[in-house]
Amino acid sequence: MQFTPQLEDKLKKLMRNYPIKRSALIPMLLFAQDEQGFLSQETIAEIAGRLELTVPQVEETISYYSMLRKKPAGKYHLQVCTNISCLLRGGEELFEHARKKLRLAPGETTPDNLFSLEEVECIGACAWAPAIQVNYQFHHELTPERFDQLIRELERSRT
Amino acid sequence: MMGETVKIRVDDRELEVQRGTLLIEACRAAGIEVPSFCYYPGLSLQAACRMCLVEIEKAPKLQTACTVPVTEGMIVRSNTEQVTQARRSMLEFLLGNHPLDCPVCDKGGECELQDMVFRYGASESRYGEAKRHVEEQQWSPVVYFDAPRCILCYRCVRVCDEGMGVGALSVVNRGVHTEIAPNHGDHLECEECGMCIDICPVGALTSGAYRYKARPWEMQYTSTICTHCGDGCKTTLSVRNNKILRGNNRDRSGINGEFLCIKGRYAYDFVEHPSRLRQPLIRRGRELVETTWEEAIGTVAAKWSEILARRNKAANNTLAETSEKRSEGFGVIGSNHTTNEENYLLQKFARTVLQTNHVDHHRTADYAALIHALANESAEQPSQAQRPPLARSKDIVGASAILLVGNNPTEQHPLIAWNIREACRLNGARLYIIHSRRIPLLRQSHRFLPLGLGHEADALRHLCGEPEATQALLGETPSGDNVTADLLNDFRNRLQEEKDVIVVFGDEITGPDVSLLIRMGSRLSGQTRYIALGDYSNSRGASDMGLLPHLLPGYRPVGDAAARAFFEDRWKSPIPATVGLSVDDMVAATLQGGMDALYVVGANPLKGRNPEDFCGKTFLVVQDLFLQETAQAADVVLPAASAYEKSGTVTNTCGELQRLRKAVGVLGTRTDLQIFASLAAAMGATLHPSQPEEALEEIRQMVPEYNIPLANVLAGGAEAVLNPNGFKPLAAPAETSGRVYSAQDTLFTSGTLGRFSNILNLVPERNIRKEPGPA
Amino acid sequence: MASILGGIVETVAALASGFKVTFRQMFRPTVTENYPDEAPNFQNRFRGLHVLQRDEAGLEKCVACFLCSAACPSNCIYIEAADNTAEQQISAGERYASVYNIDYNRCIFCGYCVEACPTDAITHGHEFELASYNVTDLIYRKERLLAQKTTTDQTAAGDPALSMPSGRNQSAS
Repeated sequence: MQFTPQLEDKLKKLMRNYPIKRSALIPMLLFAQDEQGFLSQETIAEIAGRLELTVPQVEETISYYSMLRKKPAGKYHLQVCTNISCLLRGGEELFEHARKKLRLAPGETTPDNLFSLEEVECIGACAWAPAIQVNYQFHHELTPERFDQLIRELERSRT
Repeated sequence: MMGETVKIRVDDRELEVQRGTLLIEACRAAGIEVPSFCYYPGLSLQAACRMCLVEIEKAPKLQTACTVPVTEGMIVRSNTEQVTQARRSMLEFLLGNHPLDCPVCDKGGECELQDMVFRYGASESRYGEAKRHVEEQQWSPVVYFDAPRCILCYRCVRVCDEGMGVGALSVVNRGVHTEIAPNHGDHLECEECGMCIDICPVGALTSGAYRYKARPWEMQYTSTICTHCGDGCKTTLSVRNNKILRGNNRDRSGINGEFLCIKGRYAYDFVEHPSRLRQPLIRRGRELVETTWEEAIGTVAAKWSEILARRNKAANNTLAETSEKRSEGFGVIGSNHTTNEENYLLQKFARTVLQTNHVDHHRTADYAALIHALANESAEQPSQAQRPPLARSKDIVGASAILLVGNNPTEQHPLIAWNIREACRLNGARLYIIHSRRIPLLRQSHRFLPLGLGHEADALRHLCGEPEATQALLGETPSGDNVTADLLNDFRNRLQEEKDVIVVFGDEITGPDVSLLIRMGSRLSGQTRYIALGDYSNSRGASDMGLLPHLLPGYRPVGDAAARAFFEDRWKSPIPATVGLSVDDMVAATLQGGMDALYVVGANPLKGRNPEDFCGKTFLVVQDLFLQETAQAADVVLPAASAYEKSGTVTNTCGELQRLRKAVGVLGTRTDLQIFASLAAAMGATLHPSQPEEALEEIRQMVPEYNIPLANVLAGGAEAVLNPNGFKPLAAPAETSGRVYSAQDTLFTSGTLGRFSNILNLVPERNIRKEPGPA
Repeated sequence: MASILGGIVETVAALASGFKVTFRQMFRPTVTENYPDEAPNFQNRFRGLHVLQRDEAGLEKCVACFLCSAACPSNCIYIEAADNTAEQQISAGERYASVYNIDYNRCIFCGYCVEACPTDAITHGHEFELASYNVTDLIYRKERLLAQKTTTDQTAAGDPALSMPSGRNQSAS
């Protein structure tokens, strides 16, 4: 399987960083996922081969970490924090609202592949709770209204 | 090699143990109970189950005894209230999701969790929540997985990856959703060895063959030796109502410990295969029809006596011989599966009663050449003779280096492969491989010398320092490797530095090449020991017992008058002096009509041929378990008992003598020993002895190598059959034309016996790994 | 004369004291049972012929765990287990007893099997007339031991042996 030259560069650098090959597994998977949106079977097999691991060993790691996924996520991957700080300031309600608004169960993607939704543990934005993360972008102190607005903006930006 | 010891104190007892020992091992060795699920000797440490928690002084919290190495002055308590409380709570956690379906669970009665809860657990649980339920999955014909029962000790994952080197199992998901998963989504593609089932402390992984058949306390256990490959693993057969329900070796007795491959664990089912012969057959016209034992034995004895009388007459009348077409008389083909006693008596029967040296069997390793080469070597270098030059299978684990020449132990010798992996993993042994294919053991190899098909001898010459051979090895090999001079020299230099090498070789090295191998081995700087790999459970024993056209028992040449006299004196009968025909020669002579009678015991020399071509060519008597090609051409077929249905001894490929014990009986069959005796009696001859124990006693008197202490063997252990004082030089044997070739069985075939094991035919991997067939 | 009168009194007194028990018992409830003309009356806990029970759905309760045969001191219970399949569901668990024999030549009616049973499948019924001219008849097979499928309707026609009262659940009346 062929990776893009940019990804190849990153992977090569990673391979040099670790004395034990398999230590590079998680960053490699993350970089591959960032570029391809998800981890396909071919990607998994390729990375397993490069790190001299078996495919089941890589699958183990992927299934352990919720940030690694084997299905494509939406263009905007919404991660709603429901950990303590956010919970106290309405994170749970926000998550429920998001589910209803987008008509999504956690882990699902809208039919137009625009949004996917996930409930996550602390994303480190406690001071501005409740917070959500859209791809790598943070959105702070959300209320259901502000959430709806955010969704509208994102929908508009598609076109 | 005693290392430095440290003193520790456990529960007010002073213990002195080796530095670096794990605390759990130190406690157990001293008889102090430390329970555990995930800790398993020989596997990597996990510390997942938290059952082995103990109090260590100055440690702030309870520590897992399975991961803490002992240190000087350590003070440990394993019986305090805190420890008891911890164990009870851990079990309560485990039972939080574990279903209480012990009455239907196959593990009930031998379940470690059951025992632990009984011993350490609380009588009540504080969990009122519903347990997590997942449906049971079938992963392969022999492996079932019941996820809720799993306690996540990861033993299966580790034994599959580390022990078997397969890595078919993995742990997926996280937290309460953690599960063991097979390598192909919903099913397994692996060696189907069943180690994961055996090692599972609970009933999460269960065996498809034994599923819901019986409970452990209901069965009788007979430990015997697996009848398939030449490694001689001990398998404990669980029997109920004269039916074998399962095979395993949980008590870790025998040379294999608890290791068994699919054949040892599941392929006992040929015993009750529907096509098993249960009555003698006799040819009437073109048909083989069922008959009584009396008629079958009577017919054979009458015909043989007639042929014998005619030949005696012809021998006295030399004129008649010249005018008549020359006939070879009797031919006898023995088995790789029958016991030493039976092999010994068969060749004795052939040589004394039938007066023929046309005795042979399918030779799968050149033991005769190895024994002679070692004898000659020790004659040249008396110092070498002090050490036993043949390694036992367990020696592999302790060796610092292993040289593998040919063969594919992963498929053909699972125990040898297991031992090699163990040596590399646990003791850091260096594995050198000389091979024409990229075999699975390369994963463990230290140095690999790839070569073209049939160039093994060149590789040995290269190691002996012959430059022409080095030239022959250079270049690209069929396996796609490029062989450079550097690679060759590096391989030789590294091997040269090794102080303790075990050389393991397959049928790639036979005849004069074996001497070459020994010459190479004796040039190494330290101790060198050898293992020749033969295919079947008693391949080695058949050679040792003289089922060979040119050698008497104990490899005494048939042409040697002194050797002959020794046996003639004891057997009270003359022995023919000429070297006999090999299997191939006998089959060829039969096709030409040149054999008066052929007696085939537990073998199928006509494998892959058309039985029709052989019908009526000779008087063919076949004694076997199934009606295979050879039996289909026979005039009389005698149904024999399999190895699981008789007592006796077998010798594995490393030369370890072990005892077979009768597990079941199949109505209508007789053991080969009984059949020899009845045939001899019906011919008016006496063939002593008639009991396996007496036969072994006679073997011990006639074959000095077998005159070893028997106590261990009788108790179910293994004893190496060679004289510990080394070899006495033997006269060189006359050359014989017999081929030595392995049947190249895979994990899922076992000569022609494997055809009759449903399990071996059921597993899908059988079709993925095709039988290569004889070279 | 007096001696004659005295004799009469004595005789009457003797008869009265002798019949006292008889007459007293005449007005008490009868304890003798007219077996075999009438059915005997058992206490609830009487340990008679075993009955293999069914659950509410009519499935066999026995899951062939072998604990009864393990508990049996006279080794009279013989079981063979088999897999339930989707097409043929015999018991509620994953497996069922394909063969379940009790050898009444050996059974001592100790009740250990009933104690051991984790699913309350084997119970003691109240049937006790086991005499036979043939010892092989005393090996009872599962078909003979199993409670009838319609447990609510005890009067259902069929083999009387199968419609016997079913152990613990049945009152002694």
